[in-house]
Amino acid sequence: MDILTLSEYILMAALAIYALASMRIATRKTIGMGLVGVGGLSIAVATILIIVQNIYGIAFCKDIATALVLLGPVGTIAFARVLRGYSNG
Amino acid sequence: MDDIFTIIKAALLLASAVFVLLAAFGILRFKDDLERVLYARVHILGVADGACILALLVMGEPLLAGAYFILVPFASHAIANGFYYGEDKQ
Repeated sequence: MDILTLSEYILMAALAIYALASMRIATRKTIGMGLVGVGGLSIAVATILIIVQNIYGIAFCKDIATALVLLGPVGTIAFARVLRGYSNG
Repeated sequence: MDDIFTIIKAALLLASAVFVLLAAFGILRFKDDLERVLYARVHILGVADGACILALLVMGEPLLAGAYFILVPFASHAIANGFYYGEDKQ
């Protein structure tokens, strides 16, 4: 195993720990905490999928990662607009 | 020459892993009863986002990294703005 693959495995493990931490934050009772947790979870999963594509050569992982990277922040912005409320503009 | 680039790539990926682990520790560090803890967590989210952008760049996905680099400040601002005018004012 070369050093690049080893560092990719280490990054994948770190991202898995971060995904668990984000999930824990996402289950807190306020909506803002849910948004923070889901935002962190989406980029963590997207990066894990890119690593999986690099290591194992599964091509469709990149498509899912692209969807997560593009739609995650868009969904966060939309939900944050709802959280802000319509009356304040 | 390829070995040098491989070592640099591995070092950058390991640096990303360190930052991601620090973010995972930091996002769980504060108690929920702390006042306005969401702003601190949005800040920590930015650290992990930066580390993931660096990792995506190193792994040869510049379009994904660029798209996320443009989108994520808007998302973080929207969370903080929504919290300030929504939940924090209640």
